[in-house]
Amino acid sequence: MNAKSLVFLFMFIGHAYSETYNEELFIKPLATGYVYSFFQFTVIREDDSFKHSTLFPHSLGDIIDRFYVAELNVDLTSGLWRHKSWGYPAVDAPSGAEISARFHNDTQDVDKNWYGLTNALSGLLCTSLNFINSANSYESSADRVYRYSNLPRENVCTENLTPWKKLLPCDSTRGLSSLLNSGRVHNANYHSLGIHFRPLCNAGKCKYELRQTVSLVYDSVFISFNNKYDWSLRKMFGTGLFKTCPLADYSKIYLDTSSNSSVPYLISQEPDYILKNSIAVYNLKGIFHLSAIVPRPKIVVSELRPLLYTDRFITGFGQEYGGLVTRIYNDHRSSINATVIENIPWFLPIYYHTLKVTSNGVRVTPKALIYKPGKGRVRIYYLEIVLELAPRSVTEISVQFDYVFLKWQEYPPDANHGFYIGSAIVKATIPRHATSLTFDKSLIIDNLNSTGSDYLICLKTENFIITLPTPDFSMPYNVICLACTVVALAFGPIHNITTKRLKLTTAKYVPGLASVAQKLYVWLENIFWSKKKNKTGKAAVVKVFVPEELSYHPTFGHVSEEFMKDKVDFIAS
Amino acid sequence: MEKLLFFVYSIGILIRVYLNFSDFSTSIADRVEVSTPLNSWKRVIEGVSLYNKNINPYDGDLFHETPLALVFFSHLTSTFSDFYVSLVFIVCDLMTAFVLYYTSKIYTENLLKQQAKTKHVYNKEFNKLLIPDDFSVINPFYVCSVYMLNPYTVFSCIARTTTVFNNLFLALCLYSMVKRHRLLGCLSLVLASLPTFYTFGLLAPLMISCAPIDPKKKTGSFIITFLTCGTISCSLLYLCYNIMNEWTFLDSVYGFILNVRDLKPNIGLFWYFFTEMFEHFRALFVCAFQLNASVLYVVPLSIRLRRDPLLLATSLLTLTAVFKSYPSIGDVGFYLSLLPIHRHLFYFMQQAFIVSCFFVGCTVFAPTVWHLWIYSRSANANFYFGVTLAFATTQIFLITDLLFAYIKREFALKHGMKRMINGKEARLMLD
Repeated sequence: MNAKSLVFLFMFIGHAYSETYNEELFIKPLATGYVYSFFQFTVIREDDSFKHSTLFPHSLGDIIDRFYVAELNVDLTSGLWRHKSWGYPAVDAPSGAEISARFHNDTQDVDKNWYGLTNALSGLLCTSLNFINSANSYESSADRVYRYSNLPRENVCTENLTPWKKLLPCDSTRGLSSLLNSGRVHNANYHSLGIHFRPLCNAGKCKYELRQTVSLVYDSVFISFNNKYDWSLRKMFGTGLFKTCPLADYSKIYLDTSSNSSVPYLISQEPDYILKNSIAVYNLKGIFHLSAIVPRPKIVVSELRPLLYTDRFITGFGQEYGGLVTRIYNDHRSSINATVIENIPWFLPIYYHTLKVTSNGVRVTPKALIYKPGKGRVRIYYLEIVLELAPRSVTEISVQFDYVFLKWQEYPPDANHGFYIGSAIVKATIPRHATSLTFDKSLIIDNLNSTGSDYLICLKTENFIITLPTPDFSMPYNVICLACTVVALAFGPIHNITTKRLKLTTAKYVPGLASVAQKLYVWLENIFWSKKKNKTGKAAVVKVFVPEELSYHPTFGHVSEEFMKDKVDFIAS
Repeated sequence: MEKLLFFVYSIGILIRVYLNFSDFSTSIADRVEVSTPLNSWKRVIEGVSLYNKNINPYDGDLFHETPLALVFFSHLTSTFSDFYVSLVFIVCDLMTAFVLYYTSKIYTENLLKQQAKTKHVYNKEFNKLLIPDDFSVINPFYVCSVYMLNPYTVFSCIARTTTVFNNLFLALCLYSMVKRHRLLGCLSLVLASLPTFYTFGLLAPLMISCAPIDPKKKTGSFIITFLTCGTISCSLLYLCYNIMNEWTFLDSVYGFILNVRDLKPNIGLFWYFFTEMFEHFRALFVCAFQLNASVLYVVPLSIRLRRDPLLLATSLLTLTAVFKSYPSIGDVGFYLSLLPIHRHLFYFMQQAFIVSCFFVGCTVFAPTVWHLWIYSRSANANFYFGVTLAFATTQIFLITDLLFAYIKREFALKHGMKRMINGKEARLMLD
């Protein structure tokens, strides 16, 4: 099929469902010799029914339709984005899997749709999103139809990338997606796959936007092989660009050269044009290659340090009591309003009364606070704090928690590896700083052109691992036996005391096994020699006396009547 | 004797006050043996602060007291400063000791009176089995000093566990048993059992002790006591409902106790057993263990010990302290201080030495292996489980020994001390 007939075909189909598709790649050299590349594949369509589509992935459209999804964000990430030295990414995603969705306002059973959605997506993307349940997701305090969950333990791998690429109109054969080579993608220091679907409504008229994003951070020293800081498309992705995707309206590469003033580097290609004096733009048409020769970079962290960044860690030692500390650094000259959302799993019960918010060491009261206590195996501990971060301050939120002892089957296979605790979320509106990508526009180019002064950022803090105390997994039978034995130790004597009467006997006490052996011996003796000896067993000789039958004698103790008769005779004689 | 009593009292107060304001108090309160999820002060504070913020504390997983206690502690912490709150705990402990003192005094006096009536029935041989008159002075003193000086009760008080209040109500209940105050007994019994559930078994000794001697009126009296308790508990539960406006607290208090949701180690048997339990057998064993802890021994022991309701109460308290789902050493300390009341049985007890050695050993070993397991991570859960097993076994030995002593004394009173038949050595056996 030649290109002409293809275009004709799409004109024919595209008539009914107007859809547009664009491919973009944004490359930004970071401090300390890292290179950040951000791919964005955007489909925009006008029809809100996803039954028929040409560019919009049909499998995803079905899921969106079926579960009444209004907005969806899925991020699969491996590695940690270092805000302090790298600035802000285009999409801030915590390590592991993160999913949030907003359903249509008239959705009846939101939870049912939420679990349906996560299960469907786990099939679509080969992830463990099916492990999402009420114990690791929360609904927003303000929004009934919003759900959020993250799975910090999720291991992002090739098996996620392949189905992700299949959602693209050109798959991975043509266009920018041909750069996404699974071997190279998973070699990156940080990589994050994203699917972002949202409606864009303007005066009652809605468009639907689907963005598939990939964020990759490569260490240029590692990829250059010659221990220099040079980088190129081939070095990063293992291949050059050969064909563009014919379905895309345009394919563009943007190169942020703003750091060129402090760390100059040479680019192999002249850009088609330069945006805002610092961003080189390349329109892709055919074979394309881009490389940069970088002399040893000066490591200047301070000028790249973002206005707002976070830190999170646990305090205390031992596996009994601990503390969770989230620090928010505000390096801005004026104060910033921030919302901190902590979602702490049920096996880390936090004590609300130990919650302490300090700013530069001085205790402050938050502007607003929402706390929903968690419940074992059912619900997370949800804490939402609205704070005003003082200018140039460190705000610290600390809370105490207990280590919980779980049932032995609730521990993951490698129990002593520990449990992953997902990140906290910090939302704030900060002034535009350096070249940061935002999400308020559909296309990267629009975002780069944006002139808005403030923008909303959503920071995800570090995950951490906590090792809960473990039982001995090899012990279940022993424990059951031992504990039941102790119960029997009480039951036996009390049963005897309450049901039996004390009596006197002259039978000798024979302990445990010996008594069984003796009884066996008597029994055998009876069988074999009963005829010869013609007498009953020895057991019959022993008599148990009920004290009531006996009378009491000061020297002989209890005495039977016959005995007394004999005694009387004896004494008389 | 008054001087001695005063001395013991002041020593007890001094220890409590000193420990309360020393650095030890927090580390004592953090001990798993002292504070369980059910009685820890930290969780009470958590519940109160949630309640004051208009968040339902029963939504969460940390607070398990009744709404009545919630309101009480909320008032307590808002009106008093931290210093006075700890004083309240100390004063409660003193009152418990005081009530126990009078309980023991009245009980022993009653025993002596009874003995004087039935003395003629006994053989002169048995004179040394008779309770000497000075027991009515010495026993209460022992009871009081055991409660005041026992490290278990002291730690429980320092850690501000709610067991302190519970013990006070239990002491009041025992007091009304010997005093035959039906209403006070029922009220204190219900107040003690509402948050901890298991002690409702004490209804049996209360019914027995409140009943008149006339056998015809006995059944009626039993029913009245039972109904009084039932009415009081129903009305208190309804009051709880009115405080919270919903019944969710039932699941948070009784569901939590019965289903053993928190598997944090304590001195009991439940935690490791249900940690290691296979999920499909869980319901069965929960039922079995809870029956064993709550009702299994009530009826047989009540029939056997019907003549001595206080011994019945002591043994039921001991058995629940061993077998309940979240036992703490506060419960152990309480029943230990009841033992001197039954000093006339000590003559027949055989395992006192072993039991006391094990008590000391377990008390020393438990924190040691806990530290090895949780902090230095060189031991594992089995070590601590071993200690709790030994501790439970010890307590079981103690109570069975006491019960055997009771029936042996009963036997000896009737049939003499000599264990001989026709001049030959004989032994006692249960048949």
